[in-house]
Amino acid sequence: MAEKLVPVVCPWCSVGCRFYAVSVNGYIRRIEFDYDHPTIPNRGKLCPKGVASYQFINSPKRLKKPLRRVGEKGEGEFEEISWEEAYRIIAEKIREIKDTYGPEAIAFLGSEKITLEENYLVHKFSKAIGTNNLDFPGRYCQYSNSPARTKVFGSGAATNPFEDVSRAELIVVWGHNPAETAPVFFGQYVEKAILDNGAEMIVVDPRSTRGHKYASLHLKPYPGTDLAVALAMLNVVITEELYDSEFVQERTAGFEKLKEAVKDYTPEWAEKISGVPAEDIRKAAKMIATKRAAFLVNEGMNQHVNGFNTALAIADLIAITGNIGKDGVWSGVFPGAQCGFCASMTGIAPNNLPTGRPVTDAAARAELERLWGFKTPDWVGLDLTNMIREMGKKIRMMYIAGGNIAKSAPNSAWVREQLKKLDFLVVQDIFPTDTIKYADIVLPAAAWFEKTGTAISAERRVQRTYKAAEAPGEAKPDWLIIVELAKELGLGEYFKYSHPDEILREINSVIPVFKGATPEYLAEHPEGCFFPCTEPGEGTKILFKSGFKTPDGKAQLQPVEWMEPPEMPDEEYPFWLTNFRLVGHWHTLSMSEESPSLQKRWPEEFVMINQKDARELGIKTGDLVKVETRRGSILVRAEVTEQVREGVIALPWHWQANFLTLDEIHPMTKMAELKAVAARVKKVEE
Amino acid sequence: MAHKKIFLDYNRCIGCKACEVACEMTHGEARIKVFEFPDLFTVPFNCRHCEKAPCLNVCPTGALFRDEDGAVAFDPLKCIGCLMCAVACPFGIPKLDEENKIMDKCDLCADRRAEGLLPACVAACPTEALKFGEIDEILWEREGKVVANLKAAAEKGEGEEALLL
Repeated sequence: MAEKLVPVVCPWCSVGCRFYAVSVNGYIRRIEFDYDHPTIPNRGKLCPKGVASYQFINSPKRLKKPLRRVGEKGEGEFEEISWEEAYRIIAEKIREIKDTYGPEAIAFLGSEKITLEENYLVHKFSKAIGTNNLDFPGRYCQYSNSPARTKVFGSGAATNPFEDVSRAELIVVWGHNPAETAPVFFGQYVEKAILDNGAEMIVVDPRSTRGHKYASLHLKPYPGTDLAVALAMLNVVITEELYDSEFVQERTAGFEKLKEAVKDYTPEWAEKISGVPAEDIRKAAKMIATKRAAFLVNEGMNQHVNGFNTALAIADLIAITGNIGKDGVWSGVFPGAQCGFCASMTGIAPNNLPTGRPVTDAAARAELERLWGFKTPDWVGLDLTNMIREMGKKIRMMYIAGGNIAKSAPNSAWVREQLKKLDFLVVQDIFPTDTIKYADIVLPAAAWFEKTGTAISAERRVQRTYKAAEAPGEAKPDWLIIVELAKELGLGEYFKYSHPDEILREINSVIPVFKGATPEYLAEHPEGCFFPCTEPGEGTKILFKSGFKTPDGKAQLQPVEWMEPPEMPDEEYPFWLTNFRLVGHWHTLSMSEESPSLQKRWPEEFVMINQKDARELGIKTGDLVKVETRRGSILVRAEVTEQVREGVIALPWHWQANFLTLDEIHPMTKMAELKAVAARVKKVEE
Repeated sequence: MAHKKIFLDYNRCIGCKACEVACEMTHGEARIKVFEFPDLFTVPFNCRHCEKAPCLNVCPTGALFRDEDGAVAFDPLKCIGCLMCAVACPFGIPKLDEENKIMDKCDLCADRRAEGLLPACVAACPTEALKFGEIDEILWEREGKVVANLKAAAEKGEGEEALLL
């Protein structure tokens, strides 16, 4: 009964906290804080989700055996079957659909909840089946900021280690709530910058978030109008010549076009649209231009149809103020889940190869085919939103590795109807999620603590996590499920893996940026390495010190134009509805709901209403209210507060907010409108 | 001898409740509680382990005692669940364990201290709002920071505001 200290990476957000799981005979007894390695990002600290992180794996609701649907789709009635039978049914169905409709009728979803190795295998498996219909639920997460930054800088990833945030002179928190979504990051880096090093903070958010008490300036745009604020900031920085002219001259291209594009977007214009006083926009722009700034940007900016434009404007702003490619600045994407990078860096997208090259590049495909030994498809596949739109039409079968789109995708009631139209749906997950109710075959997967693998944090840190517990019942790690299914399909020769280390070694040779992240190096170095790491031990801490990843090495400034949110409040639906996250919950609750310590403290949803609006509607805290949009309505308790600006109501995202959102998408990034829709609210008599 | 206690730098607290959950994971029930106020002001509050602890003075069975580190710890085998400590405590800290009908309170994680570890709430606190130390240590550190900031402000020249921490 010896206690074993197993080093693990926390399974929730993407800060990349490490701790020890104290394991006895395959069960986790407790956790212990890792104060042994001062160079790890969390320095031993953990947030409430981290401390309670192993509770969910012991939940009685865990899936323990493969299941076959017996009732109607959506009812969630299943019978238990054996693994052999499950593999046989899936393989038969894949063959049948390939024969009837071709491989392009099959779609795959990777996940930010599974490891780097597993995402890589999902990708390899989909290509082996012959389809590029491949995506992951991160489509609704970073797909504004990441493509925008790629367009401007050639790469979306975070530019600096977290350490540099504490050295910044200004922290710009834009549509991000790090005090609740990443408390350890906030406490260890943001607070240190502000409280210990005297940095200032600007918050751009219609809501007062937890950390906003440290802000010297709080801009409160209406949801979906922060693009106007960003454009006005560009206008101020350019017209008042506050930009870093040396940097603009030497390191950027396209300044004149940008100048022309934003010349009419004055702060006064932005004030009319966003409700942010012009004077505050001027003040903020001046601060950004004159200080070393860290930009913490997240879903509040990302999850809008016009989010791509906002992200472009912010990237332009970062470039012309020279807040990139040096010490003491920070900008980049901040995935909400611990393995967002594991999916994106293995090329989980309809148009990418794992090497980072596009699927249409014949030479890159030939190179990959030489490494893998089989032909890969050359057409650009469908992204997640279009997969959902094409269910029952172009898409006949879907294979989901750990996503919960029936709840997380926008306009979820419609998504559920679409899921019913599939000929065949396979879902592998650890809990019976809403999506599983529509599955034909359910495969029980091992949870985070039950497998060895690699995770990548928001600061590009590649770390290894180890198996600390036995999976319940017959649940298996996702990588093993794919390996065994591939065997059943006769693809075994391409999937000869018996341990995740072997998959990681293959990744080292296939994906250039992970060449040095070998299992041996990561085992010896719990603090991991920063990708791109070309040789073991040689990571890259700061990106773009001399050049950008663009063809000419310069930041490509993008002219940006104002774009209205797809739905604005009107007489019928007078409020802006937005959503936010709670510190104790994670995404669609699938895991945090099964953690008693979290569920007890953050038990139910509520809607935040400004005091002034509440008075007019006769609503008091605790009243039951009906929140209604054109897509549907929900009943929740009201919280009357000053923490949200008037005209805006805010719901926690985790429960059912996406019942109310739009499925309108951005034409290029396919990002949906998840954060700004027109709504009305009224009191319900109990 | 000065005793080590848990001190709070409320300015750093973001009300994330990591302390509550860490305590609950260690003891089955949270013995620290985060109070939230409408203006985002939050205060985690645990047993103060008073120098003149009324709970300890009124305990008729000696179940409550001061351990070698100065914590007001308790021996569940001696507790008769008379609730005297709960009545005497000005902060309402000792709670009745409904199942066993004995009292339960913060003992500054005696088991963890015995292994040289920090109390769970302090170990977890992501913002270092909770500090474990002797009162003089904590106050000197704070005072030192104020002095350093005043000095730095003076060096930067007139008009610079000192950061009062």
